[in-house]
Amino acid sequence: MTELIDRPTTSTPEWLLRAEPGLCPCGCIGKRHKGSFVEKTLRGGASVLRQVVFSDDTATRGGLLQRVDPRVKVLTMVGLLLAAGFVHSSLVLVGLYALTLAAAAASGLPLGFFVKRVWLFVPIFTGIVVLPATLSIVTAGHVVIPLWTWDGTVEGITSQGLATAARLVLRVAVSISIVVLVTLTTPWSRLLAGLRGLGVPKMFILVIGMAYRYLFHLLTVVMDMYEARKARTIGKQKHDKAARGFVAATAGVTIGKAHQLAEEVHQAMTARGFRGDAKTLDAPKLSLRDGVCLLTAAAIAFAALFVDGLLV
Amino acid sequence: MHIPDGYLSPQTCIAGFAVAVPTLALAARRVRTVVRTRHVPTLALFSAMCFLVMMFNIPIPDGTTAHAVGGGIIAIILGPWAAMIAVTVALAFQALLFGDGGVLAFGVNVVNMAIALPLVAYGLYKLISGSSALSSPRRILGAALGGYVGLNVSALLTGIELGIQPGLFHDASGAPLYSPYSLGQAIPAMLLAHLVVAGFAEGALSGGVLAYLQRANQPLLKLNHPDVPVDHERTTRKVRPIAVAGIAVGIMALLTPIGLLAPGGAFGEDAPADLDLGKVNLQAIPEGLNKYNGFWHNALFDGYDFGGDAHPWLGYLVSAVVGIAVVGLVVFLVGKLIARFTRHDVEAGVAR
Repeated sequence: MTELIDRPTTSTPEWLLRAEPGLCPCGCIGKRHKGSFVEKTLRGGASVLRQVVFSDDTATRGGLLQRVDPRVKVLTMVGLLLAAGFVHSSLVLVGLYALTLAAAAASGLPLGFFVKRVWLFVPIFTGIVVLPATLSIVTAGHVVIPLWTWDGTVEGITSQGLATAARLVLRVAVSISIVVLVTLTTPWSRLLAGLRGLGVPKMFILVIGMAYRYLFHLLTVVMDMYEARKARTIGKQKHDKAARGFVAATAGVTIGKAHQLAEEVHQAMTARGFRGDAKTLDAPKLSLRDGVCLLTAAAIAFAALFVDGLLV
Repeated sequence: MHIPDGYLSPQTCIAGFAVAVPTLALAARRVRTVVRTRHVPTLALFSAMCFLVMMFNIPIPDGTTAHAVGGGIIAIILGPWAAMIAVTVALAFQALLFGDGGVLAFGVNVVNMAIALPLVAYGLYKLISGSSALSSPRRILGAALGGYVGLNVSALLTGIELGIQPGLFHDASGAPLYSPYSLGQAIPAMLLAHLVVAGFAEGALSGGVLAYLQRANQPLLKLNHPDVPVDHERTTRKVRPIAVAGIAVGIMALLTPIGLLAPGGAFGEDAPADLDLGKVNLQAIPEGLNKYNGFWHNALFDGYDFGGDAHPWLGYLVSAVVGIAVVGLVVFLVGKLIARFTRHDVEAGVAR
């Protein structure tokens, strides 16, 4: 991260690059967070901006994956994710992870940042979640580390449990690395063009593209309201009925504004000739480099499955 | 609740897409016929909004916060079909931009959060709100309960999808290949957090936003409720919370004989001698259990019963009523005591 900040080309400030661990960063698993709801929401908004600004930074650098056609990248991503899903051997998964690191390095992504971005969220959480599954009371099998005896039966960590835990954590890390590689090396607009080129209906692409455009506008509206609330609160924020009323009213106001904006945007689109269908430019032709990339990915996937078949 | 890649087998992920894609296609067609060319900007803006709603921290009374998905309230404002597309787009942002939820698991996540949640929340909302006026409190109750139940159904589905993995996919040594927890472990783990915390956050957000829109922006609510009158004559009496609580407790008391239907019992609940030792991996009855079994013989209704098991359901009912009365009395007295002491404190503070 530090080498990233030292680079004169990167303008992302350090506070925008901080992150917290969790199963999903949105924290919707019912986990309770300490702290003021105002601060938390403001920090969440900053984190959204941080990730987007950073992705934009890395996606426009010149590197191996940045030069590949987005359609090829999406296909490769899905193919490799499937291969990682079917692989049973932890060794093969380690090999696949090493390959993602090599690809990240070749694409000019700072390795320290890449590793942190992948591991900080889901794999660490997965490691904690899967710990009880290593015990014989969850995953029955051959006990390798006895911990206690329950009326004559030895209970403890089983070899099957350890294998499961290693496999799950590694597979999660490999899968996230593959997705992060694609998203960090592809500008959002090109990723959408790639999805369109692969047959995702035009309506979805239009909606996703426009939603992305207006997401930041609405985010600013919400952040303004929260900052105003913070500015006029003296002392600690209370988590009472009034606070919930404020959150509901903020959401309600934003929904109202979104609706009004949608009407205006629709009128503007109609005035410019929009009749429910959009024309897109023809997708660029695939180059030799794209073909090589596709073949390499296919070879990696088949090799992984073949070696896995030999090992398991 | 977003399932990352790696927790589910590729087969389960494909099944998720097999359900999600046709449902979304149907939703897209329904939306297109209803709003015509307006659908693109409307859906886009509401998708962006949906993503933001997932970012909102809902304050919980104990000083902490929780997140909501927001699928329920979007379904009430836009209708369930448009909500499906809006939540799907928000999930796509999370999966592709922020690594929140997997790409292979996207179909399954869409089924849980973008299809099941809005459908259940909207169905329950319609059922509870019935033909009431647009400004009726019944609609707030419907929205809140819809959000609560919708999120929990979504969590239940997630628990089932994770729970079927170890049984279906394991290697030769029996080690699970994907999520290692069985149905009996995954479902309670998912549901506990959602029944206790996240469901309330979702319910509070849905109900709160609806109440706000009733006060401040009824035209927005009119979008999906074109034929509903804004205000009925105020003939309905205000429902008192104590009446609602009383009815709820009464219904639960009446339902207690259902306990008679439950097979088996808790571990060693009856006589320790009846324990099926082989089933629980034991060679002998635990010493402590044997020693303390039957330690207390003086229960008023031993085994929720009296009169030698002649009328078991009557025994259950009487036990329930007496139990409720005793617990109610204790809570009432404790409440009185607390009120007395706090009032004393306040008065002392004022005097000072």
